[in-house]
Amino acid sequence: MPSDTARFTPRGPVDVDRPDDLDAFWNEALAYLERTAPAAAFVLDETMSGDGVDVFAVAYSSAGGVRVGAWYTRPEGAAPGADLPGILLIPGYISDPTVAKSWSLRGYAVLSVAPRGKVRARDQIDPGYPGLLVDGANDARSATYLGFYLDVVRGLDLLADRDEVDPTRIGVHGSSQGGGLAVATAALRPDLVRCISAGAPYLCGIMSSVRLTLTYPYQEIREYLHIHPEQRAALETAYSYLDVLNISERVACPAQVYIGLGDDVCPPETGFALVERLPHVEQFLTYQGCAHGAGLPWVNEEIDAFLERHLSPSPAAAREHDLIGGNA
Amino acid sequence: MTVDYWDDLDADLAAVPTNLVLTPEPSRTTPDWTFSTITFSSIGHRGSGRYRAAGYLSIPTRPGPHPGVLEIPRHGSVNHTPHSNDRARYAILTLMHRGQRLADAPYRAPYPGLLIDGIVDASEYVYRGIVADCLRAAEILRSHPGVDSARIAAVGEDLGVLTAARRPFFRALRVDGLLLTDPWRRAESTRAYPMESLNDFRRHGTDDELVAARSTTALYDPLALAGDVTAAALVSDGSASGAALASRLGGTADTLVPTGRDRIDDDARDAWLAAQLGAPAMSRYADAMIPLPGD
Repeated sequence: MPSDTARFTPRGPVDVDRPDDLDAFWNEALAYLERTAPAAAFVLDETMSGDGVDVFAVAYSSAGGVRVGAWYTRPEGAAPGADLPGILLIPGYISDPTVAKSWSLRGYAVLSVAPRGKVRARDQIDPGYPGLLVDGANDARSATYLGFYLDVVRGLDLLADRDEVDPTRIGVHGSSQGGGLAVATAALRPDLVRCISAGAPYLCGIMSSVRLTLTYPYQEIREYLHIHPEQRAALETAYSYLDVLNISERVACPAQVYIGLGDDVCPPETGFALVERLPHVEQFLTYQGCAHGAGLPWVNEEIDAFLERHLSPSPAAAREHDLIGGNA
Repeated sequence: MTVDYWDDLDADLAAVPTNLVLTPEPSRTTPDWTFSTITFSSIGHRGSGRYRAAGYLSIPTRPGPHPGVLEIPRHGSVNHTPHSNDRARYAILTLMHRGQRLADAPYRAPYPGLLIDGIVDASEYVYRGIVADCLRAAEILRSHPGVDSARIAAVGEDLGVLTAARRPFFRALRVDGLLLTDPWRRAESTRAYPMESLNDFRRHGTDDELVAARSTTALYDPLALAGDVTAAALVSDGSASGAALASRLGGTADTLVPTGRDRIDDDARDAWLAAQLGAPAMSRYADAMIPLPGD
């Protein structure tokens, strides 16, 4: 099915104020992250490894000393100096982090992060699902999501530090939460990310989104305000710091964005708003009749081609495509 | 063997009192529905005696009884919270089986790994307890005074087939995806989890373990129990395994081959269920902006 950008009627505006001290906020956040050493451990999982892929269970420390996790996969037996292209893979809101064998069979080293609250990363902080979006969110500096963003940034740093990875050829990919945080990660590490592929991007125009859907996770905010109406101004202020739209202009690399024009989870209007702000949109794909899957049966080949153009993996087997939105 | 196995499970479950606890959730309750988090007892986990599973229960406030929907848990650590559209139309129970969030003490399920946890011994296989959790959730929904016991549906992955086969009071069964159906053959064509767990097991298990594992999964294959399902069914899967399942469901199953346009597919699934239960169809895609209180 061809992409279709023409036939869409917005239901409402997507607005977010930009705090005057936004840059200082994120500089402070990144400095906070640096106060904790990664203490990363990559442990080969022999049971999951084989048939062309090495699988490592990863644990690392992130902002505030929180221990989080990841899965790392690479072509079997890749040696230091292999100069593999890297992909940072970010999970969806309720998704469990993927063990990305299909990507590594295609020649990529992949770190699939499990930020705070996810499976294997919830011993210290566990806001729940639903829960993460509103946990501590009446103050951006206390919001659990701030730490979640930083866990992803730290994952990117770890991937770039791998001996077998070429740090100049790292892309970031994900859908839904993974799409929004792919943009955020590239905004916070503009010198390290070569390209981003972002599907159905979440966390873009957060407060506007609450007015465009009754579906979770944004519905968490409506429900929170149901019992805490006095917190509305505080929430609006806090989310203006975390809103990906407000940092998207920092992104320095080419971007691929794809959305479904009938998405009830991440309103399509917010995808358009993101594309208007990103400096280097190479490809914007929109799909009629599609919801949060964002055109999966058709967009997979576009994702593969986009990442290949920018990351140049060695020739390898074709990637098995996700047809059910496992990363959404 | 199959019937005895499930009869034994029913007997074990019947010996466990439900001990249902409803905790109201004010943030998710509106003038149109009452929302609670629930916990209840099910059969034990590896000698624990009994296990507390959990769920979300939403009941419309308008006069009932209401059509009931049991949302079968997905394969994953977290389940969706029932959507407002469904809370408005149905008495809806979303189950969290053992190992999932809200039901993960003491057993915190591994992802990946749940699918093969205990697989070499059918009496210890984690899905024995998971099926029990589903059956108990079905009983809870059916016995709720606000539910029309003649209009109850199960929706979700093919775990719902086992549930509907063992509790033949469902009017409708909507199978939105496959997990347990024909698992070894489906695993051969993927490197993606959860099915890749079976490939991992095949690579590293002994021959005896593999035989035992296949014996266990054969018990849980919905193809084996589909003939006992009396509900009208919709199988939403375009694979050969999906077609096989539809053909086993008493010859009355409808099929929906996903088009990839998931807005259209989701709306079609919603309309099928609504028609089965006598409710209006609704799309989750809002036609217009929805004001926040205070706008």
